[in-house]
Amino acid sequence: MELEIKLIRDHCLADLNEVEELKALDNVRIKYLGKKGTLTIALKGMGKLSSEERPIIGKLANEIREEIEQNITQQKQALEQKEMEAQIREEVIDVSLPGKKHLSGNLHPLTTTVNELKEIFLGMGFTIEEGPEIEWTKYNFDYLNVPKEHSARDLQDTFYYKDDIVLRTQTSPVQVRVMQERKPPLRMISPGRVYRTDEVDATHSPVFHQMEGLVIDKGITMGDLKGTLDLFAKKLFGEQTKTKFRPHQFYFTEPSAEMDVTCFKCGGVGCKVCSNTGWIEVLGCGMVHPNVLKACGIDPDVYSGFAFGLGLDRIAITKYGITDLRLLFENDLRFLSQFK
Amino acid sequence: MLVSLNWLKEYVDINIAPYDFGEVLTMSGTKVETLTVVSENVSNILTGKILKIEQHPNADKLVVCTVDIGTDERIIVTAAKNVFEGAVVPVAVDGAVTANGTEIGTSDFRGVLSYGMFCSIEELGMNADLFSKEIMEGIYILPANTPLGMDVRKLLWLDDVIIDVELTANRSDCQSIVGIAKESAAALDLPIRDFKIYTKDEKRNDISNYLAVKVENEACSRYVAKLLKVKKVEPSPLWIQVKLMNSGVRPINNIVDVTNYVMLELGQPLHAFDYESLKSKEIVVKTTNDKKIITLDNKERNINDSMLMITNGSIPVAIAGVMGGENSEITDNTSVIVLESACFYKNSVRLTSKQLGLRTEASSRFEKGVDPELANIAALRATYLLEEIGACEVIEGIIDVYPQPVSPKKLSLDIDWVNAFIGISVSEDAVANMLKRLFFTVKSCASGKLEIEVPSFRQDIEGKQDLAEEVARMFGYDNIPSTIMGGETMIGGKTPIQKYEDAIKNILVGQGYYETLTTSFTSEKRLIALNSYFKDTLVRLVNPLGEENSIMRHTLIGHQLEVISLNYNRKNPSGRFFELANTYHKSEAPDELPREEKMLVISTYGSDDYFELKGMVELLLTHSGINHPTFSAGGSDFLHPGRKSVVYVDDVRLGEIGEIHPSVVKNYDLPKRCYVCELSFKALYESCVTDIKFIDLPKFPASNRDLAIQLKADIPASSVETIIRKNSGDILESIELFDVYTGEQIPENFKSLAYALNFRHHERTLNDDDINPVIEKILEELNSSLDAQIRE
Repeated sequence: MELEIKLIRDHCLADLNEVEELKALDNVRIKYLGKKGTLTIALKGMGKLSSEERPIIGKLANEIREEIEQNITQQKQALEQKEMEAQIREEVIDVSLPGKKHLSGNLHPLTTTVNELKEIFLGMGFTIEEGPEIEWTKYNFDYLNVPKEHSARDLQDTFYYKDDIVLRTQTSPVQVRVMQERKPPLRMISPGRVYRTDEVDATHSPVFHQMEGLVIDKGITMGDLKGTLDLFAKKLFGEQTKTKFRPHQFYFTEPSAEMDVTCFKCGGVGCKVCSNTGWIEVLGCGMVHPNVLKACGIDPDVYSGFAFGLGLDRIAITKYGITDLRLLFENDLRFLSQFK
Repeated sequence: MLVSLNWLKEYVDINIAPYDFGEVLTMSGTKVETLTVVSENVSNILTGKILKIEQHPNADKLVVCTVDIGTDERIIVTAAKNVFEGAVVPVAVDGAVTANGTEIGTSDFRGVLSYGMFCSIEELGMNADLFSKEIMEGIYILPANTPLGMDVRKLLWLDDVIIDVELTANRSDCQSIVGIAKESAAALDLPIRDFKIYTKDEKRNDISNYLAVKVENEACSRYVAKLLKVKKVEPSPLWIQVKLMNSGVRPINNIVDVTNYVMLELGQPLHAFDYESLKSKEIVVKTTNDKKIITLDNKERNINDSMLMITNGSIPVAIAGVMGGENSEITDNTSVIVLESACFYKNSVRLTSKQLGLRTEASSRFEKGVDPELANIAALRATYLLEEIGACEVIEGIIDVYPQPVSPKKLSLDIDWVNAFIGISVSEDAVANMLKRLFFTVKSCASGKLEIEVPSFRQDIEGKQDLAEEVARMFGYDNIPSTIMGGETMIGGKTPIQKYEDAIKNILVGQGYYETLTTSFTSEKRLIALNSYFKDTLVRLVNPLGEENSIMRHTLIGHQLEVISLNYNRKNPSGRFFELANTYHKSEAPDELPREEKMLVISTYGSDDYFELKGMVELLLTHSGINHPTFSAGGSDFLHPGRKSVVYVDDVRLGEIGEIHPSVVKNYDLPKRCYVCELSFKALYESCVTDIKFIDLPKFPASNRDLAIQLKADIPASSVETIIRKNSGDILESIELFDVYTGEQIPENFKSLAYALNFRHHERTLNDDDINPVIEKILEELNSSLDAQIRE
């Protein structure tokens, strides 16, 4: 019996040695260890053995069974490994082939620019306000302290719908509306579309975009105006940006200023973008004129504030180095798709 | 405005480099655009007198000149035709450099050595715009009394720096050398020198024998006149000509040049009439019914009764503040002149100048506002100069019609307020000093307040904020410390609709759509091409830039089609676009602004079809929490009648979607198939369901049934779906149309719609007994309402 079992083992191991695929391995397992396997059948004959022999043979049989099973497991792992390696070998792809196209569009560069500006001011507690593009002259001019006879009101400068209704020439009327509707403190920006009767060329468009900002509170100073706009410039153009405030004149502010920033192209040494001055004019600003506050029902002896306004199209084209303003309004896909 | 630095230095001792001075001006409020040296290169060009001219022995076109250059005599060979014996000319001697950088040496002209050359205007680098072609072509002839051997660089102010300044509208007082000098003196904290005026204590009033002035219109606030006898009308001395030229003004003759000189110097426009040509002993300032006047530039101008005229009592002799008339022009025969120094109301001059399309040095100054207090000073300054250069003799007496003299404005300034407003901390003395530098009269009074008298030339100063600006710019805007705003904490942030706008755009971008930016204008022609010309509800502009841009758009579709057309014609094979912008509609009520409605337009061409675009819209709606929109056939005339639908959520009309009508395709030069959708952004936002509630994951399995329904081809699929939903109760989890079939298998004009229905109950497993009755009910109604059959 002992010899018989050992012989089965030897046969089995010999068979296993020759196995080259998983299917064959399973066949070997069934042949020896299956219900009708040779070892199984051999062990069924154990009942005929004497009680002395039985434990010895039993132990041997278990050892051999384990040995075979272990062998099978090892063999199986080896074969699986081999099979996987073969699979991997077969499945090599040219990873340099192009990926499958996924379509995505993008926002217009003007929107992206405006979004950036919005984020900066939202972070400082501002709200975003909108107002009509077709506006009463009183909101577009009168309440903003623009003299009755000023040439900005001429048909040569402003589009008229009726004698007292114009296409707004600035987004400042939104400020007037907000000031008349709400009580200070106010912090707001009003980006939007504005109109002036400029013929279209590389730097002009009768339709363009502006953003005005307004802060009204008790104790707002010109230093606050500088501090806020300096922070804005640094966030938009980078930490190293410096600002310069030059005295200027606007009807709705007094004192008024224009803000220049160090050229973001050359850093201030002078280049084509900044016409070799090292500076780029970015916005107009000033302390809100008392006449404007009064017209909006705010007491200039209690409140003060500052306002600023900037051309968005110009910021966008300067930021991206776009050479012609007309490209913004043309919408050629080869242009649009550059601003992912 | 062009400002000569040399001229400025006659008033203020500016002893810093021109560039630095420019910075000082800019930072104190007078923006310097450019600084230019008149003629950078010119050197070693001297004045010389031609003593003798002889024909060149070997060349017909050349002459040999003997020239006295002060220190010695030289031979110069020239081909110039305008030289003559006795002429004083600029001589580029050996080693000289001309304007374009050419070095001049001794050269041999056919056997005669020339020790230099004579120079033209161009070779000197002077302002070519100011000279006639004739003068430009010859050698520049200097006045006969010019000293010899002088460096022309100094003599003709070729070393002068011309400062181009941009003035703000409120500072009319800066439109002159003295105006800028005052600003410079204030900014540099330097004294300013005075100018000389005619100060003779006149005992007699001879002028009254010649002239009286009547002002009949309040648009003339002051009229000063002085009479002078002319000794000789001739070219001005060089020092006057040079200043005019460096200010961009062409020298004409001594009389006219002095009027221009004083205008440039003081900012007061002057005019000189030929007294005899007035043919009258009076000047009347008024409006008239005359229709024409010929102005000094020999042009006939159409005038009307809204324009202020200077008349001789009957006919106009000048357009007030704009230009003189040819009928009273100074000529070589003029023996007596009337010197006018008047102040005209800015708006009157502006409107006249605009109507005439004629803008002059005078009108542009009056338009901004001239100080009436300046009129007599300017008249006396001109009188002084005309006498000084020997052009005129003065007739005693002056006419000064000044019915309402301006009284100085008085303001008070609280030092604490000004410090708090600007955000600085400056003493009362310092503030007083700053304002004094700017020619304000300042008096200190108790409790930190200053009493201030505003000089008459500062018409822009009205209140304390204006004074604060003066203090701020003298203090230096750059010296004001930058601070962070205090006050209440402000939360700020975007409103829900602003956030929704961002979300919608992001979804579209993620699906391959590009945002466009188009203008707001359209035209009758463009709208007719779009089958969308609704003439009664359009917003039309009074003064558009051409017919093409005369209407404010009431739809975004037209512009999207123009975008598609442009891209298609530029061979971009396909494109997906969107834009969120306003449309404009006439308001019904007359006292209201036009209605502005924000619309979302989406368009596509090249590779998509109607259902692709519809799918995009459905995705947007899904993201907006809108699950069961209806698309019912119909829509505007720019859409294909068989391929258009109106989008509703419940009963709210969101907008429309469809294929572009073939006629519009032709009109707009579009690819054959384009698809557009236009939705009201407001309606869309208001239909949004924003609160998302979690629903437990299902615990019981779903039961699926497929139904193929055969029905007439013209019945919309949506009717089938409605019936299925209606009869399924709440166990229908989803419904999907997975196939539409027409063809041989079914009768003509019929179609087959295959639906996958998914049933589920959230508390138990459904079996056939639950589902079969539902299916039967569905089939029954499909049959009775739509005459539809199940297709086995």
